[in-house]
Amino acid sequence: MAEDREAMSPTKIGFSILWAACWTGIPIKAVFAVLAMTMGLVHFEGRFGLAFLIVFASPMTVFAVPIIIAMFETQFGEGIGLPIIFGMSIPVDIWALGLVGRTFFLERLRKEPPHDGLGFAIWWRAALIGTFFFPLLWCIVSRVTEIAIAASHSMAEMESMRQLFDTGLPIAERIGLELTIWGSISSAVLIVLAVIGISILGQSIRRMAEIARPVSANYQGLITRWDLMRVPTDQGLMLTSLTGVGVVFSLMFWSMLPVTTPHPHECCKRPDVRVEPVFKPVESLSSSAQRIATLAAQIGAMEQQKVATIDQKEKGKGKAEGETAKDSSAKTKP
Amino acid sequence: MLQPKLKSKVQCTDLNIGEVTKVVLDPLSHEISHIVVSVNGSGERQVAMGHVQVVTDDLVQLRAPSTEILALPPFKREDYVTTHEVEISHLEDHIHVTPGEVLVPLPDLEKSVKRRTFFMNFTTVIGFLIGLPIAYPILRFLMKPMYADFDNEWLKVGNVSKIKQVDVGVQFKYKKKVKEAYMPEAEVDKNVWVLQATPELLGKVYQGKDAEFRDARGKTIWTNKKDVPYLAFSGKCPHLGCAFKWRQHKALGQVFLCPCHLSIYDAAGKVLDGPAPRALDALPVRVSAGGEVEVIDMEFKAGTKSQIRII
Amino acid sequence: MDSKHSSPATISDHQPSTIERLVAFLDERVGLKEMQAKMLNEPLPGGSRWAYVFGSILLFIFAMQALTGTLLMFYYVPTADHAWASTQYIIHDVDYGWFLLGYHFWGSSAMVVCVIAHMSQVFLWGAYKKPRELLWIVGLALFGVVITFGFTGYLLPWDQRAFWATTVGVEILDKTPVIGDFIARFLKGGPTPGQMTLSRFFVLHVMVLPAALMALAGLHLFLFRVAAPAGPFTGTVEELKAKTDYFFPRQIWKDMVGMAFVFVSICALALWEPVVLLDEAAPDPGDYHPEPEWYFLFYFQLLRLKLFAGEFGQFMGAVALPVAFMVLLVALPFIDKDPERNIFKRPIALISWIAIMVFILLFTVASVINREFLD
Repeated sequence: MAEDREAMSPTKIGFSILWAACWTGIPIKAVFAVLAMTMGLVHFEGRFGLAFLIVFASPMTVFAVPIIIAMFETQFGEGIGLPIIFGMSIPVDIWALGLVGRTFFLERLRKEPPHDGLGFAIWWRAALIGTFFFPLLWCIVSRVTEIAIAASHSMAEMESMRQLFDTGLPIAERIGLELTIWGSISSAVLIVLAVIGISILGQSIRRMAEIARPVSANYQGLITRWDLMRVPTDQGLMLTSLTGVGVVFSLMFWSMLPVTTPHPHECCKRPDVRVEPVFKPVESLSSSAQRIATLAAQIGAMEQQKVATIDQKEKGKGKAEGETAKDSSAKTKP
Repeated sequence: MLQPKLKSKVQCTDLNIGEVTKVVLDPLSHEISHIVVSVNGSGERQVAMGHVQVVTDDLVQLRAPSTEILALPPFKREDYVTTHEVEISHLEDHIHVTPGEVLVPLPDLEKSVKRRTFFMNFTTVIGFLIGLPIAYPILRFLMKPMYADFDNEWLKVGNVSKIKQVDVGVQFKYKKKVKEAYMPEAEVDKNVWVLQATPELLGKVYQGKDAEFRDARGKTIWTNKKDVPYLAFSGKCPHLGCAFKWRQHKALGQVFLCPCHLSIYDAAGKVLDGPAPRALDALPVRVSAGGEVEVIDMEFKAGTKSQIRII
Repeated sequence: MDSKHSSPATISDHQPSTIERLVAFLDERVGLKEMQAKMLNEPLPGGSRWAYVFGSILLFIFAMQALTGTLLMFYYVPTADHAWASTQYIIHDVDYGWFLLGYHFWGSSAMVVCVIAHMSQVFLWGAYKKPRELLWIVGLALFGVVITFGFTGYLLPWDQRAFWATTVGVEILDKTPVIGDFIARFLKGGPTPGQMTLSRFFVLHVMVLPAALMALAGLHLFLFRVAAPAGPFTGTVEELKAKTDYFFPRQIWKDMVGMAFVFVSICALALWEPVVLLDEAAPDPGDYHPEPEWYFLFYFQLLRLKLFAGEFGQFMGAVALPVAFMVLLVALPFIDKDPERNIFKRPIALISWIAIMVFILLFTVASVINREFLD
């Protein structure tokens, strides 16, 4: 498939570079993330997937995230771990964008990559675009989703009135219908906005490419050139340093990893070290009397409730361990 | 060994009769036994290597005249299989009969040795760095029950009223509660030998020093005072862990006697005879005002000269 | 000669080191260099690709599951009276037990994700077409083994979730006509789930399925080498030739980076959400609403539709539909005979794939939403 290089669409340019660079960077960012989690610096609770996506797209989201947190009071994870991960991702992204950028310029654009700082050049453009565009996208998609959910609720209501079911549309079908309606609206808006954002970045890169020199080598030469670009001049140094860093991180990991589970079950909670409270006889007598009184009142209330019983099953156990893990937030006090 | 090349011309003493179309190997000796010559116009003949005088890159010189060669029986292809159809080990090491080579181009990207070694080493480094973080947790995981803390509870074993004579060993049987990991609590039967000791016996046992007992970290948890007139010895023989008895010996008098390998100890626990490597193991003992005897249950490694506590 | 190429050049007057002599010793007897070259110097048309890493990643995940699983077996007991307690012991008492159990638990999810990714990659690249039909079928068998691994392993902690999810799952299998009752009783080891069920699931999970997976994976690799890698679906001859490189070291390196990333991700998941058991399994589900593992949720939700109510509906949904879908997948290389492999020129294939992925996503999310309405 011969590339029509002159007319390569900005979306394609932006997407190709971002996709490759994000995937290049994520293994390194993931290592920092795991270290931060081991040290207990960050608690993701329910929004792990979202946090992953945001760290994945860090060239564009790195400065946008604090803005979103400030403007919309959303939380991606408590603790200073997330800012640390974002901080670490800046040099990683610059390096990744440089590597991917140079490869892209050579192979797809057949242009000579600018000598120094291509990575930084693409990175600041991506970060700038992301800082303005990403909060805007967040805001629009949130609003659209809210409206779409409300609209789908009312549509489903209408739908069920028209059905011949006595009780309305059954739950599973209704959920499926509503989800399809608001899900497709929301996804469509998200995709369109994302494409626009990527396209803006692509245009910016294309402007950079326009002033770059065309490259003269044949195709095989270009391929070999970017391929060998990945071989460092001093292999021994690079590999030894990498091993050294890995060993240091492993040692940190070993010392930080909790020996027993951070989420103990009711059955086996470790008794906390408690300071023995001072024994005050008068106080304890009166508090016992109070307790007896409250217990008596509770028993009276329970008996009343039993008389007026409608079976209210607790939603507790079944969801306690579910993906949303709301209860576990109570157990993970830093 | 001569290596006649396929497709090379075959020359008899008098004239050129054709070319080598096949080569036959001996599967046992891995040597070429025959060549098959396609004679111009009249089929193929199988010619033993004995007939071959000289071999060059494109010519095989035979030492027989053409008539003799042509008189050989025709070659029967159905009596043979190719080397692709049969497994003969290390064949290519010995046989080089192909004229020229069959080649495949080396990809351009693979031409750099530096590249090759870099990615090879990089792969090794990453592999090492994947295994490293989990090595330590795995080791600790497996070792968890191996060096468990000691349980230093005092256990009631009986009352001193059971002892009728001094310096005589009396076996007290008791039950110890054991909870292993997630298993329900179980009871094991244990025994301990208690003596009401005279000052002379105490002197022999303590030799003027109080006996200290420590926990796993080296902190002293109990001291058996040398003037307390009660001694408790662990019911396990220090040789290999058997339960021993208190018996009357022909020559040595009243002794502790282990039936397994006949170790004999006196009332002070000292080894009189037999393979025991050390004296009987004394246990922390205390007697309440009412005569209730309590011990801390300990077990020591069997068969060693020095006393090493394991439980 | 390949042997000269596969090792870095040695200077001729250099004394062979011990390692070099050992290698030469082995090479003379075993043909080590040639074997190594044949195994590793497999040319990949169009070069090594990140899209191809999923197969190796799956092997890596399996190795890690085997390792963590074996470690868990040092403390876990497959008896109804101790399964829950021994699992809790691992989580709360054994050093780093919670982490290794978490790794094993999330590793199984990672395996399902990578299996879907691998199957999708093969499908989108059209690498199931002739001559790779057998590869595809063996791959589907491997997929079945992976799903069965997840299903059998889920029961082992013997808490309410494990017990009731398995009960429901086996009941679904019971709906198979003719052999359903037999299969259900075989798996349960009786008319109702109990100790026999646990023993059978344990044996399947720990001996039978690993053996099956190793055998099938070996066959899968062999067929793959025989058929050769399919390569990219676009590209001129010049492009493919320029980018060709060998399996070793570049693809192996990419595989290794992929493995490292998956390893780190599973660690992250184990740290984010450690395994927490529910109460021990009891004959009465009580407040607990049975639910299968997340990768079955879409199907769980599908069966809630009124379309599949009633005995015939249940048969359609629980048996006919999945069987038909699997049969379709098996028959795929024989139905789709068009040699075109470019996904953008195979609209039916592309749309079907997108539709199936959206369907799975939709019903999975719907299942999660549905939890609110279970009273």
